[in-house]
Amino acid sequence: MDIKESQALRSTLLQEIGKCRACRFCIDVCPSYQAAEWVENMSPYGRLQILKYLINGTLDEDDPLIYSLYSCLQCGRCDRLCKAKGQNLEVSKLIRLGKYLLSQGLVKGKKSEKV
Amino acid sequence: MDVNIAKLTKDLGKIVGKDHVRIDKPTSVVYAKDVMPWDLEEKNIPYAVVRPSNSQEISKLLKYANEKVIPVHIHGSGTSLVGLARPKTKGIILDTARMKKIRVYPERGYFEAEPGLHLVQVKKELAKYNAMLPLFPGSELVATIGGTVAVNTSAHGVDAALGKPGDFVLGFEVVLPTGEVIQTGTESTRRAAGIDPTKFFIGSEGLLGVLTLIRMRLIPLPYFQQIVAYYNKTEDIIDTVMEMYKQGIHPPLFYEFLDERAAKIGFEAVGLEEPIGAVAMMRIHSWSKAGSEEKAQDFLKFLQVGNPIEAKIVKDMDEWNQIWSSRAEAGNYMYRLGMTFGSEISPRVDKLKEAFHDAQLIVKNLKSYNNAEFISFGHIGAPTIHAYAFIPTKDISNDLKKALTLEMREKTEDLNIKYGGCGGEWGLTAQRVSFLKKKYGESLYELLVRMKKAFDPNDILNRGNLQGWI
Repeated sequence: MDIKESQALRSTLLQEIGKCRACRFCIDVCPSYQAAEWVENMSPYGRLQILKYLINGTLDEDDPLIYSLYSCLQCGRCDRLCKAKGQNLEVSKLIRLGKYLLSQGLVKGKKSEKV
Repeated sequence: MDVNIAKLTKDLGKIVGKDHVRIDKPTSVVYAKDVMPWDLEEKNIPYAVVRPSNSQEISKLLKYANEKVIPVHIHGSGTSLVGLARPKTKGIILDTARMKKIRVYPERGYFEAEPGLHLVQVKKELAKYNAMLPLFPGSELVATIGGTVAVNTSAHGVDAALGKPGDFVLGFEVVLPTGEVIQTGTESTRRAAGIDPTKFFIGSEGLLGVLTLIRMRLIPLPYFQQIVAYYNKTEDIIDTVMEMYKQGIHPPLFYEFLDERAAKIGFEAVGLEEPIGAVAMMRIHSWSKAGSEEKAQDFLKFLQVGNPIEAKIVKDMDEWNQIWSSRAEAGNYMYRLGMTFGSEISPRVDKLKEAFHDAQLIVKNLKSYNNAEFISFGHIGAPTIHAYAFIPTKDISNDLKKALTLEMREKTEDLNIKYGGCGGEWGLTAQRVSFLKKKYGESLYELLVRMKKAFDPNDILNRGNLQGWI
């Protein structure tokens, strides 16, 4: 992924996550939220917020953040419950893209992007 | 305020167990964020999120918070539409999610639930006993019973048909802000006459205590009938509602409407043919099947006063579910191409039409944004008008989002004052303290402040919500 592509992906993610209204309708159907005894950062809503605040610089990459994002099972249940579905918000896909960005060390446009 | 996070973590761990204390920033941010459209500020982000499992742990937590004078913000599911859920100051978030026990006592005529249960889970449990939960927010999938009773929101329910949630509460276990655990109310289905402290906590928005057990009367599941009515214009629906009250017709349990624009959006969203104008949908309940059928027929006849294009009883539940979901989807799909800034106006019923026209003018003449579009839907039979200003972009600054929210809130609340209402769903603090002062005067506001102080001398619980934060 080159600089242009990673910037475009970050921008797309921010724009798409901006559609999330924080209604939390998606949380109860999430198996990882259930397994974590209903901790909200282990839910689809939580992961979208974490990605947003990571990309905009409020959050740093740390273990709890990585654990939240990587515990998503990609089952897609949240996609069916998302109240913003009129906007075609594909929650699980956004989380997958966020994980990809994170795995490439590209979230804040540093490290490998400069190579 | 200087807080030693390492010490705080250790202390809180001793109270609720270290696995149930989170101090990482991702968790704090996720819990602090709410439905309000602008981003969090540093002051909103808590030191820690704690997740107690019972009233004893909450008692210890609140005693500790008092000793250290650290604010505690109660978190159910964070679905409040007026900022109740966002912490206003640095502190500790008390998440009730681990408190999910429920026990139904059919022989006693009530059930007891812990606050963290989502309404849909309570409904599911009550269904086994053929009982109805009289709480109807659109967010029932995720809203907690603790939060719903603490706000005493009617939501879809028409107050005049069934009452408010608090009317069914028999008693509470409450942890006071200073840590004492108290019981209120009764175990009988006969509620107390005279001073019943249960009522202090109904609608108290978490300012006076933490509800740790809610005892509610079991309501036998009624029989329902559904009606949909199509109109040329919204005014015809409003005329019908006004006439319903004037004639003393018993109101339906749910009486929703979509204005011309919202009806088009909602019907398209659920794959229904676009209606000509506005749409009203009603759910009628009765304790017998024959009674519900008779009531629905009578109401259908009454609806002719508003000259509907068509009004019919819907028997097919698939068809009804599609029609009914258009109401929720209108709000969701509207958000597709921009943002909406909402309000709740609950006027005196004989002023409903005037209030509706004034609401249209407010959106048309907004100062903070030119050419906002007026869209409305809501629980018209209650009566509540949700007047929305729609703007065709999401790409606006936090400051403009705040300005729009405030302007809509202030101006529509002026309508509540002008037309004698006060809302009925969203709660009266957080963003609405200025409304409280304007409508009821400083004396009443000061009374509330003194009441808060009597319960919570150090202003520990939900600090900021009674100060008029935005």
